[in-house]
Amino acid sequence: MFEKILIANRGEIALRVIRAAREMGIKTVAVHSTADSDAMHVRMADEAICIGPPPSNSSYLSIPAIISACEITGAQAIHPGYGFLSENPKFVQIVEDHGLKFIGPTATHIRTMGDKISAKKTMQALGVPCVTGSEGGVDTLKEAYEIAESIGYPIIIKATAGGGGKGMKLALKQEDLEKAYKMAKSEGRSSFGNEAVYMEKYLQAPKHIEIQVFGDGQGRAVHLGERDCSLQRRHQKILEEAPGPEITEQTRQRIGKLCSNAISKINYAGAGTIEFLYENDEFYFIEMNTRLQVEHPVTEAIYNVDLVKEQIRVASGLPMSFIQEELKINGHSIEVRINAERLPNFSPCPGKITQFHAPGGLGVRMDSAIYDGYSIPPYYDSLIAKIIVHAENRSSAISRLKRALNELIVDGVDTTAPLFDPLLLEKEIIDGSYNIHWLENWLQASAETT
Amino acid sequence: MSKNSQTQDIAFIEALAEVLKKSGLTEIELSRDDGLDRGITVRISRQPIVGTVNAPLNSIPNPIQTSQNTGLEREISQDPALEAGAVTSPMVGTCFLQSEPETPPFVSIGTKVKEGQTLLIIEAMKTMNHIHASKAGVVKRILVEDGSPVEFGAPLMIIE
Repeated sequence: MFEKILIANRGEIALRVIRAAREMGIKTVAVHSTADSDAMHVRMADEAICIGPPPSNSSYLSIPAIISACEITGAQAIHPGYGFLSENPKFVQIVEDHGLKFIGPTATHIRTMGDKISAKKTMQALGVPCVTGSEGGVDTLKEAYEIAESIGYPIIIKATAGGGGKGMKLALKQEDLEKAYKMAKSEGRSSFGNEAVYMEKYLQAPKHIEIQVFGDGQGRAVHLGERDCSLQRRHQKILEEAPGPEITEQTRQRIGKLCSNAISKINYAGAGTIEFLYENDEFYFIEMNTRLQVEHPVTEAIYNVDLVKEQIRVASGLPMSFIQEELKINGHSIEVRINAERLPNFSPCPGKITQFHAPGGLGVRMDSAIYDGYSIPPYYDSLIAKIIVHAENRSSAISRLKRALNELIVDGVDTTAPLFDPLLLEKEIIDGSYNIHWLENWLQASAETT
Repeated sequence: MSKNSQTQDIAFIEALAEVLKKSGLTEIELSRDDGLDRGITVRISRQPIVGTVNAPLNSIPNPIQTSQNTGLEREISQDPALEAGAVTSPMVGTCFLQSEPETPPFVSIGTKVKEGQTLLIIEAMKTMNHIHASKAGVVKRILVEDGSPVEFGAPLMIIE
């Protein structure tokens, strides 16, 4: 087992990893930019190293700074958290070249799944259902027209190097195709330096259902069920829940097994999430994230597991603590993300938190790095807290969530917390039928009535 | 807590011990609040030398409030990285004050340096990075030891 690990991240996820490591008796090293000298993760870790000035490129994304920080502190392994370098295969390679352990999958798996076209091919070969689309990149407009005819409109054109919802353009009918094709290529080129695109059938009103998987790197793998993450604004999730309100146990075992078999065949190591669009009881693979996800706590709640500890265990060569047969769902869990953003435009609102009070009580978990008097720096993403509730069933979880949100106090900055009160009263939220377009439609309608 | 503040704390304690010795006092206790929930309370005492213990104690006014003490506090609590002429580390790594072991150091206290002159090396990921003087001056203080680790922004030397 590692004696000391470095956490190459910040904010709430850095705390998450520090907490797991501390419980395992492992020493922790936090890294931080000068803007984060007063951050909670710096205070909580056993050691902290300043690795650069505020911009992420010079600090949290600086591979030399992070490797050097390991060298001078004697850290043996690096946990990348999510975002930043967590899915950077070059980083993983460099980590390994320096005799350090990357807590996550291999560079090869990260690279294969990072390229959307090769990920889709890999998944198809492993029997995972995919959206009908171009078999590979679409290099010419002529090809695009031909493929669109065979798939059928509406079509979505995606940049292969894209992510986080960028580089995606819609063509509802044939007349829209040329513009959408050219724009997707251009965005791919400017945002990701890669103008390769592929095409898929566009599903009208699907849900976003993702499956949590975990492998030990030796061919053993499990699934930990699904999360419904359909509530998204500009492809950013704001609420996630497990189990998915419309997923039956049968469906869960069917898709879960498919996913765990797929990753076991490639000897996948660590946590992973396979994301699908789900419509009419059919699953369509979108992408795989080869890291821990923001919303992992809802899975931890219903399966009573600690996924970060498992990541550390597996990286150190130990087996997973559970086998598939032992994983049983208990109750229902919902997470909401609180961002330091001003409603209704969601404009970023960094600044000083003059008063902070966290919700508590039975079944309430808050993962956050904020504290009374903390100044939110403007350089990083705006997620400041996650509130996760766990209750015996979905309707109790919803009322627990309402109760917890009512207790939360964050003064001094604007947050998206007020969004959830009216949201949790809406019919499609209460009956669980909301799809991936629901939130934006609702926000639009609310904006129009004000 | 970073190595940086540990080094400062040690320097603080050593300076206090010096005051104790020079003034002939047998005990000093000092509290310092850094803000940010970081503070230090130090008590230094020593065995009194027989025969001379009482005279110094009677003749020195309450030591904790002397201007000498506050002067000391002022000097010690100033972060060297904020001083004009401070050379701070542009990277994380390990300092070396000479180009190879057994060779003389690049500079010493009192060395006159030209703009661009190498002051020390910081090693990171097996590459040696020369840290240069940004302007001409005289090396006033060297704040790191040979082979010690540094983080970004850590004060390395004071050049005046």
